[in-house]
Amino acid sequence: MSALSPQGAASGASALIADDEPLLRERLAQHLARLWPGLRIVGQARHGREAVALYEAETPDVVFLDVHMPGLDGVGAARAIATGAAAAGRSVQLVFVTAFEQYAVQAFEQGAVDYLVKPFDEPRLAATVQRLRARLADAPAGASRLEQLLEQLATRLHPPSAPAAPRLQWIKASVGPVVKLIPVDEVIYCRSDEKYTQVVWTGGEALIRRSLRDLQGELDPERFVQVHRSVLVALPFVSQVVRGDSETAELHLRGRPEVLPVSRSYTHLFRQM
Amino acid sequence: MTSSPTPSAAPPGTEPPHPPRLRDWINPPGLGLAIGVGLAAAVLISPVFVTPVWVLMARTLFIALALLAVYTAVERCPEARLPFGWPRWLTALLALPLAAVLATLVVYLVAVRGDIVSLATQADRISGFLITAFAATLFGLPIALVAQVRAREQGVRAERLAFELERSRLEKQALDARLALLTAQIQPHFLFNTLANVQALVEAGSPRAPALLGSLIEYLRAAMPRLEAAEPRLADELKLVRAYLALMKMRMPDRLDWAIDVDEALAGQRFPPMALLTLVENAVRHGVDPMEDGGHIRVQGLVDAGRARLSVLDNGAGMAELARPGTGLSNLRERMTAFFGSAARLELSENRPQGLRAELSWPLPVPESRP
Repeated sequence: MSALSPQGAASGASALIADDEPLLRERLAQHLARLWPGLRIVGQARHGREAVALYEAETPDVVFLDVHMPGLDGVGAARAIATGAAAAGRSVQLVFVTAFEQYAVQAFEQGAVDYLVKPFDEPRLAATVQRLRARLADAPAGASRLEQLLEQLATRLHPPSAPAAPRLQWIKASVGPVVKLIPVDEVIYCRSDEKYTQVVWTGGEALIRRSLRDLQGELDPERFVQVHRSVLVALPFVSQVVRGDSETAELHLRGRPEVLPVSRSYTHLFRQM
Repeated sequence: MTSSPTPSAAPPGTEPPHPPRLRDWINPPGLGLAIGVGLAAAVLISPVFVTPVWVLMARTLFIALALLAVYTAVERCPEARLPFGWPRWLTALLALPLAAVLATLVVYLVAVRGDIVSLATQADRISGFLITAFAATLFGLPIALVAQVRAREQGVRAERLAFELERSRLEKQALDARLALLTAQIQPHFLFNTLANVQALVEAGSPRAPALLGSLIEYLRAAMPRLEAAEPRLADELKLVRAYLALMKMRMPDRLDWAIDVDEALAGQRFPPMALLTLVENAVRHGVDPMEDGGHIRVQGLVDAGRARLSVLDNGAGMAELARPGTGLSNLRERMTAFFGSAARLELSENRPQGLRAELSWPLPVPESRP
């Protein structure tokens, strides 16, 4: 290690380990102690939030980050750490640790940030240690470049999903003391019952404390069709439409004995079917 | 809640899943038959009449088409709307002669230009009317009844086809499930993370290493697809779940607690492999693991009013109303139905004060003999 190293030259380099699995933190620490005796481990973090806090408190030169951690994950923690380091004019070396995750490994290779794949052996860790020591001896890499890189990494690992309309997937309904989660795909119809709405699904029925109109706004309009002032029906569960007197009709349902009314203003929905 | 429609002989607008088009109401073979028989009848009865054959033909054709219309209406009428709850064949048997008489009456009223008195007083008109109505019934009724029998046979064939289709769909589903078992059961991420833990313990010479390896072997053996398909039992599944939870506990000792409490009476029950594990894995992955401080998982099994109830409870992250349900749960629901029949249930509910409860339940077989 060069005496001209900008950081930790006098006291030796320092590192932080973040992983939610204690055995793996311990193992990494032990191997580092053997391969890099001068390295001081300033702390071990159990999740991303703790890693960021420990980094801010101890400002180590190197941070080993497990990618999969509860709460803030490894990539999220890395971004927070890099931002903090850049703001303070420090440089930080990041090493990601991951179990078999093809996409992650691809992303890291592209990003030229160092990474270890669990379970790793000592020669692989030794190569990483060598690279880290060389980089610490050199002039610090541009902090802004690291931030940019992490941003690319984050989008690679968590591609932004299409911002879908907030459609309800589960209806929460109190049945006695239990709050049931009813999958929307299993709902057959909903009927307004004053302030409440009766939800009938393949597994039973329940009253929920939401108005039909309110519920309708969050359901897929292609699937749930209003057939009456107070009735919303899931089309896949309609088995038969029987026309009645004066422009009304009745719906027969799959798997339910009851018949639902279609009022005059909605019969047109079934004329062209 | 519904206005109940009055049953009527006229065809009500019944709509099968694919609603009717005019095309459904006119079947070309039926129409051809009616026209053919109508014309033939005119030729056959023409010796008895002084009326020119083409006029007779026009009359019989009209009557034949009227009979076809009535027959079609009776055929299309939904079971529940047949008058007085009569069977379809009886309705046809009564409606067709009535239609024959009425249609003939119309024909004769047209012939006498509405002069009912002359129709009722002229003997040859009356005998002509009777012969025509009788001939219409004689031709129409047997043809209609034969057509009905044929339609019924076709219905049976269609039903059998639908049944076959359903069976092959279920077979395909079972095959898919098997394929999924073969390919994706042991997730590489899980396996390599666990191996990393084994490695750490072995290197450290920890006395816990053999136990972890033992759990891993148990898990792999249970999760590995087996070709000799012995009847799968809940006891096997519980072994698998225990091994899985023991592994996860070793990996996250400070973040996971678990307990299994299942009624002994359930251990010997048939059970679809991996069904409980799917719920337990979900509880770890989506319930406990996202929580920085972890949580606990409880597996409970009991017998309640002739049903087996097997629940997985966690106090983790719970389920958001907008969370897109993975395919795992709907697959599991289908597998439960395929295995235990339509009375099987998979229900999710909130756990108090937080987390999720997933419950599998199915009817227990009634013991065959009781002492």
